[in-house]
Amino acid sequence: MSDFYQTGIITTLHQLGKPSLERLESELYGFSKVRPIALVLPSLYSEFEGPAMPGIVQELAKVKYLNEIVLVLDNASEKEFQKVREFMSPISTDVRIIHNDGKRISEIYETFARNGFNVGERGKGRSAWLSYGYVLARRRSDIIALHDCDIVTYSRELLARLCYPVVNPNLDYVFCKGYYSRISNKMNGRVTRLLVTPLVRSLQQLVGPHNFLAFLDSFRYPLAGEFCMTTDLARVNRIPWDWGLEVGSLAEVHRNYSPRRVCQVDIAANYDHKHQVLSADDASKGLMKMTVDICKSIFRTLASEGVVFSDGLFKSLLVSYLRQAEDTIMKYEADAAINGLKFDRHEEAMAVEAFTRAIGMATQVFMENPMATPLIPNWNRVTSAIPDIFEMLQIAVDADNK
Amino acid sequence: MEDFINLILEPLKELFLKFKVFVPNLLAMLVILFIGILLALVLKRFLAKFLAAINFDSWSDRMGFTKLMRKGDLWSKPSATLGEAVFWLLIIVTLMSGLNALQITAIDQLVNQFFSYIPRIFSAAMILTIGYLLSGFISRTVLIAAANSGFHYAKLLAKAVHTLLIMLILAMIMEQLQIAPSIVLAAFSIIFGGIVIALAIAFGVGGINAARRIIEKETMPKREDETKDEIEHI
Repeated sequence: MSDFYQTGIITTLHQLGKPSLERLESELYGFSKVRPIALVLPSLYSEFEGPAMPGIVQELAKVKYLNEIVLVLDNASEKEFQKVREFMSPISTDVRIIHNDGKRISEIYETFARNGFNVGERGKGRSAWLSYGYVLARRRSDIIALHDCDIVTYSRELLARLCYPVVNPNLDYVFCKGYYSRISNKMNGRVTRLLVTPLVRSLQQLVGPHNFLAFLDSFRYPLAGEFCMTTDLARVNRIPWDWGLEVGSLAEVHRNYSPRRVCQVDIAANYDHKHQVLSADDASKGLMKMTVDICKSIFRTLASEGVVFSDGLFKSLLVSYLRQAEDTIMKYEADAAINGLKFDRHEEAMAVEAFTRAIGMATQVFMENPMATPLIPNWNRVTSAIPDIFEMLQIAVDADNK
Repeated sequence: MEDFINLILEPLKELFLKFKVFVPNLLAMLVILFIGILLALVLKRFLAKFLAAINFDSWSDRMGFTKLMRKGDLWSKPSATLGEAVFWLLIIVTLMSGLNALQITAIDQLVNQFFSYIPRIFSAAMILTIGYLLSGFISRTVLIAAANSGFHYAKLLAKAVHTLLIMLILAMIMEQLQIAPSIVLAAFSIIFGGIVIALAIAFGVGGINAARRIIEKETMPKREDETKDEIEHI
């Protein structure tokens, strides 16, 4: 059981006691009549061959309060797309599959490109953005919930708790992020534990009190891929298409809404999904690539809010981060010890060294080109340039799903 | 015996003579086809480059032509589709010219009919293009005007106007292409007439009280105190 301490400038909704799932779902069913919910699932075909997706489909088949499910399927042939349709058939909710590699959706991407929109490379960011567009085009839902498709420990309670704060009209939240602990027989979630939190705190140390840093530090798991938001927010938010997706999205939420309307919710006692390799020697893949993208996103957001970065500040940042991360390792070592979890201190120290190198690379990239922005434009801008894009997107998806 | 051989050879000779006359025509047709196909290919490529240079696809996206294509389940670039259309039109023209070179009476008639039909195809295409743009413009104007007047069903009204205009344009195109003109005319009259009668009944029944009030107000004798006030109206 967790404590009830409120951290930072956003609201934290803890899991206290054993709340009844039936009560939660029945309330959600009532609220969803006036605030219909769309669930967005960005997925790869390979995830349908893994252990997570069968469990997710089994659980989603029991959910009654969803208005629609939009699954964005990447890296799938036509035959595999048909298999996925079959796979999703046990779910009674209206399921729409966006086939990213199909000829119709490819043409939609072509339309964006020829009208001067850089929607980035293939990935979760681009998929999520396109599915928001589809939900906005259909105008059937007011709330969008999103979670990954590689959650091995998935239960429908996760979805219910994620949706509840935004769907309940009495609570007045526009954005809610999930949090959870990431443990097996050891502690996972290295990027959050050893990179983001120490980096944000060392930046606070160097830059001084800053709204965005305080906002970011308020999240218990800023890199969690599960969140719920209103469609109004989906319309105005710009989304990064690289690994900076989570941090960049939080930056956009911070820019567009007051922290009073943002919350985080405990959605699972434990959470396990596909693990990324560290790839310490190659900054173009694995956790190293993720680290570089996250750092760039944070630096860019801070710069856009008036923070002046210099060589000296970046040099101090590396040293300050290293100290913060080392202290963090010690804290987690003690935490692991009392909970009987394995803790490889050397491996953690190696990760911190790799992250330090990645921060160095990110500072270099940022200094060379601080304007390079991987943000996909928001839907308001897209519809202003291509007025019929929603209709075209809807025609494409509906034709694929016939 | 000689007569019998002649009987066999005469038709063959005749056939050979006809073939001799026909061969140059056939060659002419093949040359026309070859040059026509080559020209069509060159023009298609040139058109693709020209349309790309003037950002035709982007313009088409904004004007609503791309949406029209997508509704028809056409998923190539608008410029590529236009290029293909021009290419196949040239191929058909080439084929017709080639067949004309054969100088066969039955085919000549067909070719003449085809060439006399081409202006109709062009005018139908023009009606479609201008009509579609105009209908979009008018429906948007209706939407803005109705929304600004606080009309609750502004979007529905704009869509209805758009649909009616598209129906009108389609009927004009069919009439222009001479595709079952009498049926099109009858169908159009019935549908349009039906809509007008439906609207008349709807407004008539719905507005019966309002109409009564207006008529009563007009026909009611004016009260004396109204007519005899101190100020005389001119």
